[in-house]
Amino acid sequence: MSIGAEPHPRGIRQTMSDLHIWAGLLTGWFLYAMFLTGTVSYFKDELSQWMRPELPHQAEVPDAAGVAQRIADELQKVASGSSQWGITLPDARNNVASAFWRVPGTEGRRAFQSATFDPATGHKVSSRETAGGDFFYRFHFQFHYMPVLWGRWLAGFCAMFMLVAIVSGVITHKKIFVDFFTFRWGKGQRSWLDAHNALSVFGLPFHAMITYTGLVTLMALYMPWGSQTAFKTPAERQQLTAELSAFIQPGKPSGQKAALAPVEEMVRQAQARWGHDNINRVTITHGGDAAARVSVSRGDQGRTSVSPQYMLFEGNTGRLLETKDHVGPAAETRGVMYALHLGRFGDGVTRWLYFIVSLAGTAMVGTGLVMWTVKRRQKLPDPDRPYFGFRVVERLNIAAIAGLSIAMAGMLWANRLLPTDLPDRAAWEIHSFFIVWGLMAVHAVLRPAKRAWLEQLWLATAALALLPLVNVFTTHRPLWRSLAEGDWVFAGVDGMLWALAALHAMLAIRTARHSTKVRPARRAAPLRPTPSSAGERA
Amino acid sequence: MTHLAVFLLSTLGFAGLALAMERHQEDLFGHALAATATRSLRMAGVAALLLALGVIVRAQGWGVGLVSFSGHTSLGAGLVFGVLIVIERTRPRQTARR
Repeated sequence: MSIGAEPHPRGIRQTMSDLHIWAGLLTGWFLYAMFLTGTVSYFKDELSQWMRPELPHQAEVPDAAGVAQRIADELQKVASGSSQWGITLPDARNNVASAFWRVPGTEGRRAFQSATFDPATGHKVSSRETAGGDFFYRFHFQFHYMPVLWGRWLAGFCAMFMLVAIVSGVITHKKIFVDFFTFRWGKGQRSWLDAHNALSVFGLPFHAMITYTGLVTLMALYMPWGSQTAFKTPAERQQLTAELSAFIQPGKPSGQKAALAPVEEMVRQAQARWGHDNINRVTITHGGDAAARVSVSRGDQGRTSVSPQYMLFEGNTGRLLETKDHVGPAAETRGVMYALHLGRFGDGVTRWLYFIVSLAGTAMVGTGLVMWTVKRRQKLPDPDRPYFGFRVVERLNIAAIAGLSIAMAGMLWANRLLPTDLPDRAAWEIHSFFIVWGLMAVHAVLRPAKRAWLEQLWLATAALALLPLVNVFTTHRPLWRSLAEGDWVFAGVDGMLWALAALHAMLAIRTARHSTKVRPARRAAPLRPTPSSAGERA
Repeated sequence: MTHLAVFLLSTLGFAGLALAMERHQEDLFGHALAATATRSLRMAGVAALLLALGVIVRAQGWGVGLVSFSGHTSLGAGLVFGVLIVIERTRPRQTARR
């Protein structure tokens, strides 16, 4: 069979290049969205604080032991009879305590309820209803409006393509060392390629790590067969869970009522072991029953592993039953990779490094997507009427790149502007995100491509730049007050919004300049149209 | 402080490596440097990067240290890249005016 056999076998580089281009293009729009929302998620706790402006700035971290006691007391009222309570304590970046609990007599997705609590009082927080930064975090690996498992499979599929794109990209890159610092300005496709290469190569360790570890975080979903074969009995499966998670699973209740011993004392013991502000979770099973168990787990600070480390107490006596501070090598490998992905172990500087390099990764995907059209625009038989596939990619790029920025800003606008008593308010914030994104997609199709890029980039600039002003008029926490009070979370988010607005303005200006500046140059070299000169003729 | 030192060392390291490349020597100085100068620049660049690694691992341990090192080197390389572009963009204009 020699259908389509070519006279000259294609080199490995050419083959890899094709693989890189098509693997990247097919999943690029998803990857861009995953990358950008994931990048933002490195500051999800800060974003959540900004989105709950009613909660005062947390000047110092409250004592974990006291908070744990207050939340446990509250849960005895709101979630009594539940077999499992999980409490996440406030920390330096997070000013609320949150808890989830298993609802007695239910199964599946509705089996859990959750709420956020005020650390000082232990009561449910009285702030606007919002998903906060958690929405972007969840979206980046499971999307929305689809069953969670589908979303995760889709994310895994895209991440696998990303891995393929990274490896094939490295092979394709002819002069990875010679061209390490090379950027050829104003050379159309060549410049785009240089920028794409720089963004990819400088952050290569991060990009490879984040893609691979991203797959590892969901590996039990993607490849369950190993553990299914190895662990057959419920007891074995429970042991596996214990190696992976500090959330202790509920056993059988005794049926005898027994008051819970002071949780505060248990947390104090853990604080003595791991440090005063290094406790992040308390899990209580069958609180109020004689068989109650309490686990207090260690925070993420300073350790590159999320493997469970916790102290387990007997609930009604407060006696220490077990201290778990290591897991097997396989579980630890996973724990380290998971921690590398989340980056929660680091200090502020490390988090900024994660954010910046991850933003470079976002730009890497973005430049890759745009380059597909740049490269092909030169070869269009009739630039005024590009073929259908070209137009699809071109328009999707606009909506996926510029449109996403507007949609994300739109969600923050909704957070400030939707009435606080709106039913399902948190859901409507999310709907706003998708409504805005959808409108941008429509806009991208209706307008000439160049105009669509410009209009959306300027709209994104305005939407981002005005948010701190909206904040002035809709909350009692304007920037000057945040600065005066040393509230770096609010001041930081406001400042970051302006920095991002400036970035979008720069992109818009460059896009606008491209055509005017290059037009005479193009006459000199007729076969070299520029990337974003797309729709100027349309 | 450690972070600042490591970031500066990474940036200097990559600056050294960039200056040890003929293309950038020609862009910046108008001609290629002598082989000995090139070699010492390259050695200095590598030494600065190794020193940065040593400093951060000493301060943070291997686990966290390697992660920070990776971040600082990415950022340092990016900064050198950006500065080279700016120098190249501003230089021809100056010579043209003269």
